[in-house]
Amino acid sequence: MTSRRFFGERFTRNEDARLLRGLALFVDDVHLDGMLHVAFLRSDYAHARLISVDTAAARARPGVVAVYTADDLGAYWQPGPLLVAPPPIDGLVFNAATQVPLIKDKARHAGEPIAMVVAESRYVAEDALVDIVVDMDPLDAVVDLEAALEPDAPVIHEQHGTNLASHVVQQKGDYQRAHREAALIVKRRFHYDRGVAGALENRGVVAQWDARCEELTVWDTTQAPIPIRSGLARMLGLLESQVRVIAPFVGGGFGSKIMMFYPEEVLLPWAAMRLNRPLKWIEDRQENFYATTQERLQIHDAELALSEDGHILGVHDVFLHDTGAYNPYGLTIPINSQCTLLGPYDVPNYYTEFRVIFTNKTTVTPVRGAGRQHGVFVMERLLDFAAKELGIDRVEIRKRNLLSSDDFPHNHVILFQDSAPLVYDSGNYLPALEKAVDLIGYDEFVREEQPRLRAAGRHVGLGIVSYIEGTGIGPYEGARVTVEPSGQVRVATGVGTQGQGHYTVFAQVVAEVLDVDLDRIHVTTGDTREFHWGTGTFASRGVVVAGSACHEAAVAVRKKILGLASDALGVAENDLELEGGRVRVKDAPERAVDLGELAVRANPLRGAVTPGTEPGLEATAYFGPDRGSTASGVHAMIVEVDRETAMVEIKRYVVVHDSGRVINPMLVEGQIQGGVAHGIGNAFYEQLVYDDTGQLLNASFMDYLLPTATDVPRVEMAHIETPSPLNPLGVKGVGEAGAIPTGAAFAQAVEDALAEDDLEIREIPLSPNRLFEMIRDARATR
Amino acid sequence: MSQQIPISVNVNGTLYERAVEPRLLLSDFLRHELELTGTHVGCEHGVCGACTVLLDGDAVRSCLLFAVQVDGHGLVTVEGLAPDASSDRLHPLQEAFREAHGLQCGFCTPGFLMTLVAFLEENPHPSEREIREVISGHLCRCTGYQSIVEATKIAARRSA
Amino acid sequence: MIIEGTFPFAAPREVVWELLQDPAVLAQAIPGAKRLDRVEDDRFEGEMHVSVGPVSAAAFSVTVTISDKVSPERFTMTIEGKGPLGFTRGTARVELHDRDGGTLMKYRADLKIGGKIAGVGQRMLDSVSRTMTRQGLEALNREVQNRLAGISVGATSRSPAVRWKLSMVLLLLAIVVLILILRLA
Repeated sequence: MTSRRFFGERFTRNEDARLLRGLALFVDDVHLDGMLHVAFLRSDYAHARLISVDTAAARARPGVVAVYTADDLGAYWQPGPLLVAPPPIDGLVFNAATQVPLIKDKARHAGEPIAMVVAESRYVAEDALVDIVVDMDPLDAVVDLEAALEPDAPVIHEQHGTNLASHVVQQKGDYQRAHREAALIVKRRFHYDRGVAGALENRGVVAQWDARCEELTVWDTTQAPIPIRSGLARMLGLLESQVRVIAPFVGGGFGSKIMMFYPEEVLLPWAAMRLNRPLKWIEDRQENFYATTQERLQIHDAELALSEDGHILGVHDVFLHDTGAYNPYGLTIPINSQCTLLGPYDVPNYYTEFRVIFTNKTTVTPVRGAGRQHGVFVMERLLDFAAKELGIDRVEIRKRNLLSSDDFPHNHVILFQDSAPLVYDSGNYLPALEKAVDLIGYDEFVREEQPRLRAAGRHVGLGIVSYIEGTGIGPYEGARVTVEPSGQVRVATGVGTQGQGHYTVFAQVVAEVLDVDLDRIHVTTGDTREFHWGTGTFASRGVVVAGSACHEAAVAVRKKILGLASDALGVAENDLELEGGRVRVKDAPERAVDLGELAVRANPLRGAVTPGTEPGLEATAYFGPDRGSTASGVHAMIVEVDRETAMVEIKRYVVVHDSGRVINPMLVEGQIQGGVAHGIGNAFYEQLVYDDTGQLLNASFMDYLLPTATDVPRVEMAHIETPSPLNPLGVKGVGEAGAIPTGAAFAQAVEDALAEDDLEIREIPLSPNRLFEMIRDARATR
Repeated sequence: MSQQIPISVNVNGTLYERAVEPRLLLSDFLRHELELTGTHVGCEHGVCGACTVLLDGDAVRSCLLFAVQVDGHGLVTVEGLAPDASSDRLHPLQEAFREAHGLQCGFCTPGFLMTLVAFLEENPHPSEREIREVISGHLCRCTGYQSIVEATKIAARRSA
Repeated sequence: MIIEGTFPFAAPREVVWELLQDPAVLAQAIPGAKRLDRVEDDRFEGEMHVSVGPVSAAAFSVTVTISDKVSPERFTMTIEGKGPLGFTRGTARVELHDRDGGTLMKYRADLKIGGKIAGVGQRMLDSVSRTMTRQGLEALNREVQNRLAGISVGATSRSPAVRWKLSMVLLLLAIVVLILILRLA
């Protein structure tokens, strides 16, 4: 569209200088005059009836301004909103139970807030927590997913009379027929356990009520400021224009900072208005382990029906999904699991059924990958076991089942999380697999290197798996592009940003249309005063949806620019081009006009204009895709296992991915490298351990291990670009991709390295301990 | 309120004199008393490294020190790295981070920078292994570390 | 958490048994115990504070109910303890056996631990609990020796609460050590 290239280039980021100098504003950096500090008293018990709370001593402590319990909230005490309604699936069972601001009748997970202390400093607020006397009557806890459905299990939400939060069956074709016709049935049980999102910045809220302007300002570490703004306005009885929610720089989100209406998010604004003082609450790391949502426990009983030559005839999968104490996020995660399981493969018959279970554990909402890794793990593991039984090479069995590039759009019939049928828009799977095979040196490794190293007593293995990822779902996002009289361009969009590089990539999208230098394009995200329609940053949708809106708005502004420039220069629009912040005549580039000058002209301050004139070089546009675009890729890794200590070293890691058109390869690679690190954490280091009373046993970074620089290798990457037809940029999401197939690849590689032990890995995460046990057990059974 | 102890600390070349509670963490002192909010707090138990500052030239975790412990000492925080606060010029290591995409959300970044500044001072030509080992005392959830390693190599190369 | 073990006392069962009924003795043997009152026949309430180094922990309240008491052989305690840093619930069974002219105590406690200590103290709970149990029992044994030698620390009311106190102490210690690590490491 313009003469310079802004897409596909490795532009450094507009936001970096501020971050590197320590000048970027995070929520905890907000200091306001007269600000008070908040601390929460949280339940020690995972499941207990609340008998009494005595706050008298806490209120009497010097420096304490207020102490609130559920009773003090009056009518403001309401369970949070159901954030995502379940898709319209026949026979659906859905029992909603959303989180409450402060517990009233009982605690449903450890860490659930009981009381809120407001004091002159955080130190005093925490001192006062100790003064509060709470009497609770402990109840048996629901922890195990299968035991939760037993008739004598304690019930977490009495109004439902069961711990079953949801039951869903979806089908494509006729699995029973596939089962009858199959030459081989591979049937296994798989576990995938819990982890944290692990953003380095904990959550935080600062709320300020300006009584003179009657305006509430909330700084919030949220991925979705606009829904929070709308919800707070409704709850507090304010106009939406009276509530400004700012998600400034946010120190990582990974799903857990989605528009949860967390208790703290709802309580701080309420109390700030009541006290007419600014309030701040910053979560500490220990609170984060209890109070911030988590993900990933599922148990699958899955079977794969295959023909003799390894073609998939059908998949049957029945699984349990742990939603923790509440289910505000509906069915997004388990539906992602069932939809992602099909992978890049041609699966004619599919029966998928899940039950969502309430447990006395921290609430589950999407965390980077959001259920997709489970599906990939189940399918890829089944294919590995099938390949072994059929004596087919593991790459070959995958090749035989991949959808071909002619198969698109491919309709998988079942409904996806956005309530639309699961239709893959585009893809090119075989070249990606072949490229990964080539990059990792599969043939050479299997033929030469592995046998040679094995002969030398070393345990090396390779894993290679494929995946798809539904990304960039609706409903919509919007953007406003404004050319200012200075010639600088302002871009405002509603999504929040947590490190993805939106300030740069959205600038590139606009620059591609307007040909303005990137440092002259100023992007604002996550401030409802700047842009107040939209949803948020999650589900790998930022660039796909908000980026497309930026594009559409820029195109509209370009049209205005050309119209004005045509008048100004007396030349037809077709004979004009944009370059370097100017409009010039194609054949006579010395005849030109600056965008800034056009912006001035676009806002006439005297005289008449033609009727219907809109002032300003400004346009707002919205973009909502019909459905999500399907990204895909292949991960391959080589590992070496120390069979005595069961430590695993990742020697090489290759990712070939297709996220459609790449706007900034540097940012895409950063997303993938970071995602792989998260995936490695989930595969081998990170696991939340709950005991049978619902107590979390490793609630610190001392015991819950995030991978470090010595655990994560350099990821070698190759891009395949199959543009999505569903958006004007041809892009697909990439934010979660790196974390999705890692567990499956890791399991295959470790199993391969330990071929002599003949063990099967059907669970993630592993750990040196767990792997050690598996090796020991394998030895014992032989 | 409780006992207040007078302290005097030099931070980024400026002398600050304050009276603080003995239990006030250095990280809170820097962030909330001096409003030097570039130093971030990620775990408050010394694991994540986001709060790292230089204490008399050594990288230390400000969440594991009390403000009273640094009385009479000199500190450098991330705000003190760039040569001139009023210009856009960055410290060579900061520049390298930008170039190599060594940061995403940027929350952990100040800690990495402070540790690496001290490390490169001591070991101007580190191997990749050495770089990885020294930053393994820091957590980053966004980058997967590779770009931080690259940035460190770039900075080391430039200073050579 | 399961804490189990045996401990030899160089005294006859009756002497050990009597000792185990004396709350004042126990309060002395157990670091941090501030108060131990018999509120019903087989029900005791106590409070303890434990400090380690420069850090002092908050108060913990504890209730112990005795059941299945067969003198001088065995008893079972049901333990409920809670404080700002967490709670413990569970049972402990204590048996006394004649052994080589002395007494062998067998103990087994099955305790659920929750709250902050459970979340961040796991790595220390086991070893700290072992150490504390041993220290408490050694203190008791010294008292046994004192009594045999005719020196008594006195006190009249009766309490059998041995194991629970120990377990509470070790919980506290765990927390405290943890705080030390968190704040000062």
